Amino acid sequence: MLPAGTRPILEHVLNALIDAGVDDIHLVVGYQANRVRSHFGSTYREVPITYHTQTNQLGSGHALLQAQDGPDESFLLVNGDQIIDHRIVEAVSNAHTDTATLAVVEGPEAVDYGAVSLDGDEITELVEQPASGEFRLFNAGVYAFTQRIFETLETLSVERGELPLSDAIQQLIDDEVHTVGGVRTDHFWMDATHAWDLLSLSRELLSRGWVDAPAIDTDIYVEDTANVHPDATLVGPVVVDSDAVIEAGAVVGPYAAIGASATVGAGSALRDVVVDTDTTIGPNTTAVEVVAGQGCEIGAGLTAGGGPADVALDERVYSDVDLGGVVADRVEIGGGATLEPGALIGPGATVGDGVVVRGRIDAGSEVVR
Amino acid sequence: MCGIVGCIGRGDGTVDVLMDGLRSLEYRGYDSAGIAVGPSMGVLRKSGELDALSAVVDANRPTGTYGIGHTRWSTHGPPTDRNAHPHTDESGRVAVVHNGIIENYATLKAELEETGVTFTSDTDTEVVPHLIARALDAGDDPESAFHNTVDRLEGSYAIAAIIEGSETIYAARQGSPLVVGVGEDCTYLASDVPAFVDHTRDVVFLEDGQRVIATPTGYTILDTDRQPVEMAVQTVSYTAEETGKSGYDHYMLKEIHEQPTALRQCFSGRADALDGTITLEEVDEIPQPNAVQFVACGTSYHAALYGAAILREMGIPAEAYLASEYALSPPPLSLGTLVVGITQSGETADTLAALRDAKSRGVSTLALTNTVNSTAARECDHAVYIRAGPEIGVAATKTFSSQLVGCNLLAEELVDGPRDLRPLIESLRDLPDDVQSILDSSRAEELVEEYADSDAYFFIGRGTNVAVALEGALKCKEISYEHAEGFPAGELKHGPLALVTPETPVFAVVTGDDERAQKTLGNIKEVQARGAPVIAVTDGESDAAEIADETLMIPETSERAAPVLANVQLQLFSYHLADALGRPIDKPRNLAKSVTVE
Repeated sequence: MLPAGTRPILEHVLNALIDAGVDDIHLVVGYQANRVRSHFGSTYREVPITYHTQTNQLGSGHALLQAQDGPDESFLLVNGDQIIDHRIVEAVSNAHTDTATLAVVEGPEAVDYGAVSLDGDEITELVEQPASGEFRLFNAGVYAFTQRIFETLETLSVERGELPLSDAIQQLIDDEVHTVGGVRTDHFWMDATHAWDLLSLSRELLSRGWVDAPAIDTDIYVEDTANVHPDATLVGPVVVDSDAVIEAGAVVGPYAAIGASATVGAGSALRDVVVDTDTTIGPNTTAVEVVAGQGCEIGAGLTAGGGPADVALDERVYSDVDLGGVVADRVEIGGGATLEPGALIGPGATVGDGVVVRGRIDAGSEVVR
Repeated sequence: MCGIVGCIGRGDGTVDVLMDGLRSLEYRGYDSAGIAVGPSMGVLRKSGELDALSAVVDANRPTGTYGIGHTRWSTHGPPTDRNAHPHTDESGRVAVVHNGIIENYATLKAELEETGVTFTSDTDTEVVPHLIARALDAGDDPESAFHNTVDRLEGSYAIAAIIEGSETIYAARQGSPLVVGVGEDCTYLASDVPAFVDHTRDVVFLEDGQRVIATPTGYTILDTDRQPVEMAVQTVSYTAEETGKSGYDHYMLKEIHEQPTALRQCFSGRADALDGTITLEEVDEIPQPNAVQFVACGTSYHAALYGAAILREMGIPAEAYLASEYALSPPPLSLGTLVVGITQSGETADTLAALRDAKSRGVSTLALTNTVNSTAARECDHAVYIRAGPEIGVAATKTFSSQLVGCNLLAEELVDGPRDLRPLIESLRDLPDDVQSILDSSRAEELVEEYADSDAYFFIGRGTNVAVALEGALKCKEISYEHAEGFPAGELKHGPLALVTPETPVFAVVTGDDERAQKTLGNIKEVQARGAPVIAVTDGESDAAEIADETLMIPETSERAAPVLANVQLQLFSYHLADALGRPIDKPRNLAKSVTVE
């Protein structure tokens, strides 16, 4: 339920499916299952949704198995954390004839994804995160399957806590009888692996005008119920969702997404930010390249000047990330604090007045100085 | 309190439409159900939940091109097959379904029995088919027979009838809800829109005294003088989508989790956080009342207690009355008093009666309701909507939270004078997220493991938290069937303390750290001295968490918003307690969602 613009990524995903003509949706939910259910209910845009619960998160293949009782015949499969143009879904759907079909895109990112070799319309090889740079084509994560995929998954076992979908696809590729089709596409797709990816995702959405709120000027989208002070300045592209408040003298944008019921304090300057629902940003804040989660309380005069930064996460260092900071859900920050570029503050943490945050603060912890 | 449905013009699909309609009205009552279809005049009825009727329908496969159906919640006579609707006359020429109470049924029954009619049920409804049959025998055509019968009925009713030899549904509304669904080449009738919203969203909301004659070619609406009247067709916006369980085990849990959304909708667009003002678009300027009397029942009455408390704090004399008492023992009213009815459905008979009584005494009335176009909304001078969305679980959850916010909006609208509302607005804007944080982290389920086999559960609070204590107890008893009582904390020592033992956990709602909180801490020690475990529902501002045996924490917020949050913790406790005890949470025994009988 992370935000892209002012809407959860998953909402964009479902929009793409429905725009491509999908009329029956099955969602496999685990993490924050109740949030997802409460957000979408039993139908979305009049398309019925059936929920399947994945109690233990054992990989993408295991997730798909949870929906085994769902679709009767051929079906499409997409990831919940990846924004895709609906035309990719249409292309895969139209090309699907036998067993499995997947969308293939080209780019240097192939090393980070499932790289593929394509012979005509047929996938001949699938390599997850290949060590060598010889691959240019990779799996975009949009699939069409027949019921065969369930039978194949059932022959595999969970190893090292994972049952990846790619293992099942690999098996189908190796199988003499079945073929796995590939469809080349160059339509827009983008995923969010790290929290800072939400900034580029929102940038893309704002540039494309993929926002719900009505446009009140070029590139400026403001919901009717939002409350923007006449002395505040919105610099497009910018979106302000319902019941959000922008106080006097604030300058918001370019590339700012202000979520529902969020508040931007007087005299604050925000650029390249994603501010999620219910978060309050105190007056005279400067925030550049900042992601703020839901329900944060940020005191007056925060300074977050933006990247680039080297960010260490999960025993890996990501160099030159353009990131002022990530403030997770329900963080409280006192007045006059500073985020050094690349700061990561975990959910529910409390940061005292005047603290200079460097690097990472763990979830729920309290930093007083 | 029952639900009725009807459908004509759907050909062979009629039985399915009726059964689906009944299923979506099941929340209105469910101790028996039945259908009647024409032209065969076949009647099937069964006591028990709707599945019992489904089994009979599947076994008998009735066919028909028009019909009526009923789901019943007993008021006259126990829930048995013979008391289930539809009721027929002796010859089976007439079948009738009815929601409401026919107050003169004893007189009519005696009159019919004198002419030799034998009654087969204990219901008040059965007089209707017999009266229609007698009129037919006297030479009336079917439509006249129906009108002449309805003319004789007193009380509140929504009635639908089919009569042999006439491909028509006859229906009438007086005091109980009845809506017409306008389809393509077909017409639907129901107590509530969800019954046919899958088929059409074009709806006519009937008014009291009106009758409907529906045939395969259309419908006519008549007034009490049998003259045709034109009624506007309205398009309703909500869809059947919102009535599914979305993967939750129970509607109640779904609705508890929907509270952040419901509260957001309730508040959206109604406050200007920049200049600190609150505006309710749907009401014209209401002059500041000299006094406010709230009338309500059940959970809504607890919202009324809260509403009255906050108005009193603002200097307006305000009281909450139980609607069932109000009409029969009306308190004195002066001109300039505003009477506010709080009713989720807008159809609660007791509340409607109280509002009508107030109106007849010349004061203005206002409905605070969840249901646009409901009877309460139409009959009152003003209506304010809480916008919580449809609520299916019999135990009210999200609508109570939204009613509390609605009370705040209403109070600020009613009371004149400059004041800075920004702190209040800020806390109400924060409510959705504060509720979400409770939903994400509540310990209520753990506490159930510890306290599930207690003898009884008590709930105490002071000030606006009295409403929370009473509501916490009501929720607990209605879905868990365990004994639960709520008290103003200071009342414990005047009697209820005698019930307190080590086997009776006491939930103490303590928010803020004012004198009320301090005195409640004293009450906590009072019950602890009797060995009772105390669970504090608190924001941590007072020492309640330190003194109590267990705590359910809520985020710090304003005094006005804290009761909403405290209540969410108690909802979760009651839900998990009922779940642990295996109770039918969405359909507690003997209860119905909106009670349209007095």
